[in-house]
Amino acid sequence: MVHDMADEPLLESAASGHPSLGDRPEDDTLRNLVARLVREQPYAVLCTQGEGQPYGSLVALAVSDDLRSAVFATPITTRKYRLLCDCDHVALVIDSRSHSSVDMMQIEAVTATGRARQVSPGAEYEQEVNLLVARHPQLKLFVGSPTTALFHVDIIRYFHVTRFQEVRQWSLTRG
Amino acid sequence: MVSDPWVISINAASCDDEQVGGKAAQLARLHRAGFRIAPGFCVTVAAYEQFLRDTKLQLVVQMELGRKPFGELRWEELWDTALRIRNRFSVANVPLAVAQSISRAVRLLGPRTPVAVRSSAPGEDSAQRSFAGLHESFLHVVGEEAVLESVRLVWASLWSDAALLYRQELALNPLTSRMAVLIQEMRTEDRSGVAFGRDPRMDENDRAVIEAVPGPCSGLVDGSVDPDHWLMSRATRQVISFRSGLREDGEQAAPLLQQSDLESLLVVVDQVESRLGWCPDVEWTGRANRLTVLQARPITRAREDPNDKRSWYLTLRPDKQRLRQLGQRVAEQLIPELRELGDRLAAEDVEGLDDAQLADCIQTRQSLLEHWKRVYWDEFIPFAHGVRYLGMYYNDAVHPQDPYDFVGLLRGEDMLASQRNQLLRALAQQVQDSAALQRALQQAVHEPAAANDFEWEAWASQLPALAGGRQFLKNFQTLLCQFMDVAFGGLRLSDEPTTLLRNILELASQMRPPVAHAASDDEEAIRSLEQRLLDAVGAARHAEAREVMRLARLSWQLRDDDNLLVARLESQLLRAMQAAGNRLKAVERLNADAEVGMGAVAPICAALREPAQMPLSLLTFKPVDPRSTLRAPGEVPRQLVGQPAAHGLATGNVRVIRGPQDLGNFHAGEVLVCDAIQPMMTHLVPLAAAVVERRGGMLIHGAIIARELGIPCVNGVANVVDLLQDGEGVTVDGYLGIVTVGPAEFRLETG
Repeated sequence: MVHDMADEPLLESAASGHPSLGDRPEDDTLRNLVARLVREQPYAVLCTQGEGQPYGSLVALAVSDDLRSAVFATPITTRKYRLLCDCDHVALVIDSRSHSSVDMMQIEAVTATGRARQVSPGAEYEQEVNLLVARHPQLKLFVGSPTTALFHVDIIRYFHVTRFQEVRQWSLTRG
Repeated sequence: MVSDPWVISINAASCDDEQVGGKAAQLARLHRAGFRIAPGFCVTVAAYEQFLRDTKLQLVVQMELGRKPFGELRWEELWDTALRIRNRFSVANVPLAVAQSISRAVRLLGPRTPVAVRSSAPGEDSAQRSFAGLHESFLHVVGEEAVLESVRLVWASLWSDAALLYRQELALNPLTSRMAVLIQEMRTEDRSGVAFGRDPRMDENDRAVIEAVPGPCSGLVDGSVDPDHWLMSRATRQVISFRSGLREDGEQAAPLLQQSDLESLLVVVDQVESRLGWCPDVEWTGRANRLTVLQARPITRAREDPNDKRSWYLTLRPDKQRLRQLGQRVAEQLIPELRELGDRLAAEDVEGLDDAQLADCIQTRQSLLEHWKRVYWDEFIPFAHGVRYLGMYYNDAVHPQDPYDFVGLLRGEDMLASQRNQLLRALAQQVQDSAALQRALQQAVHEPAAANDFEWEAWASQLPALAGGRQFLKNFQTLLCQFMDVAFGGLRLSDEPTTLLRNILELASQMRPPVAHAASDDEEAIRSLEQRLLDAVGAARHAEAREVMRLARLSWQLRDDDNLLVARLESQLLRAMQAAGNRLKAVERLNADAEVGMGAVAPICAALREPAQMPLSLLTFKPVDPRSTLRAPGEVPRQLVGQPAAHGLATGNVRVIRGPQDLGNFHAGEVLVCDAIQPMMTHLVPLAAAVVERRGGMLIHGAIIARELGIPCVNGVANVVDLLQDGEGVTVDGYLGIVTVGPAEFRLETG
């Protein structure tokens, strides 16, 4: 039996999880690496769970400029929708396999963990729809369907993987 | 003119095929060679690419074309795809820098100068292939805004159904296609035409063909003006033959061109051939020193290739003139003839004919059916494009968010199927109102072990004694004779009264009353759509818009009726065949369990004519119902994708309708799954929770009826009939075009 994922700890500063981060050149900060990867990769694997059973689905994603949240949409007739209704703990995996499929050591991946919640129509909904449709204009009709649910993910932590094993972690401050 | 990355003058030396497309590059070459061409400019391939990048329309195109394997898209689905792409192109913003360049170039030509806006795709025309007519051109376009609008539509025509199909045939990847646009001042002289360097209908030859019309060349290109036609020797310059075109007044006027004009045209053809290296097809306007070359392209070998289907793809583009002629002929002549013929055949006493007469009757009916099936393909189907013509016309004028808004204009037509469905509803109402009648129907549909054992006559004879029974019987007989005398899947529906009684019982018992549109609401909605169209086109084009609506409505109505009327002829052929079969079976000249279907016409007629012939043995009737499945062991479809053809979300159990034998099994609240909703089965749709079809298209019967009734419909689902099974629970999402199989909750993978 797999237990529900424990609450993500909310750490205080972006750099504190990685003491050496402050020594790195500006464009090599974890923030910038994550920002670049989510900018380049429009899709993610959404990881959900229910009654101990994990489940993964490919979703079209948009991440906010401050990297603190993500938005995706799903039809309400899907497994992932049912699972999201039952449990809001999610992970999103974004990787560069499509760009670097030949050389395994060049592949970069980010796992973002956090909490997902369905966004109801209103001001926030409009804002989130605009973010998603700006990134994926072909999804305009899909997102606008009454049978499509929009989900906002508050991202708590990023795990960044390079060279297949080198993992760094970046926790976002909430406040 | 100052050239920039987006716009380049046709006089510029740098015009090449990759940058401005074949058509424009050829014209630029001709200009450099000293030919007179109309002044103009090109909107470059780079501008198109910038437009796609800025608007991200490439993603829209990819999504539309990637919905399912291209080869599996039926033409109707492709048309829908093209319509949606066209709509997205027409409402997208042209990048500011590109728009400013185009506007500047238009102003330089003269802000109110009428221009021609034509496609010029790289690799478009060659000796092997020709896209002539497959991409769009717009003539007499005036003003910066109108030019920009036309440019967007020319770009979108890269994705028209005809262009997509032709590319598929040529194995060209549609996703890598690009488009430049040629914009030139309209030149309208007193004579225009085409000149072919050799007769395009023949192999190597020395014969040139020249055609001329009065006024602009567009009349010749779109076929609305009959041209004067010369066949000439290129060597001697002599006219070999001449045929005068028919002018509007019906009189034969003097030839439009003199010998000197013809000779000047041959000089142009010679010069083009020597400069460009291929035998040309030249489009021209004006005479003598005012002769302007509008276009020159290689004569395609494809024109002589009987396998080339470009001309067929061209018929997919509806043309108002042709629709008008077809509409008149179909509505005023063909449909009344077909209706009368059906009535006449139904009134014939086939039982009273002697054997030889019956054989003649069967053969006559078969020839008539074949004839009308040809008419169906040659005239009824092309006229069905009237609806599509309205779609393009409405969307170009109104730019609606939903490219199918125009379908609302088609409602409220008095189709045969609507009359039949109304009668069925009235019968269901009578059953609802009378408990005795209800019991009688239940007895009829439940007691007999099989429909064939049902003693219709005996059952019907008790009805007049029941409350409401007399009226019911009268209406039911009307239903059988007037509306169910149609063949479906090789059976006559009028031979299946229990099937109809089951449908009526279901209609009477359904919990949900049929969605009743208040007639006044419908009329109001139609009026409002009409007004939107009229406002958008402007007062000067009101008459034209009304005619387009009239043709579309006629096309929609007849498109449904023609199916039923041809199916009636088939039913009448079956009736005569059944009479013959019964007669031969009675004297043991045919095996008693023989199936007397359409395939048995020849042996049955021979047996009728030759009494001395050996007894005939035909195959036994077997229901064609292999419950095949495409499911591999352990494989279950979870989510099937199609086209969202009618909005709504519904769940229900699957009922697959494969043929007439399944019609009676349909229960209210089930999800109707079939290859395609036929006009013979539209009466089931009001009973259904949702409709799922293999055949795709927003304008096919199932989709339109489902939309009218407010029932979700997903169509274009590949192999759906073999993937879903009766009784399976499904959720049909008519907003997204998704069919989810099984309950929404799922079993966890525990083992």
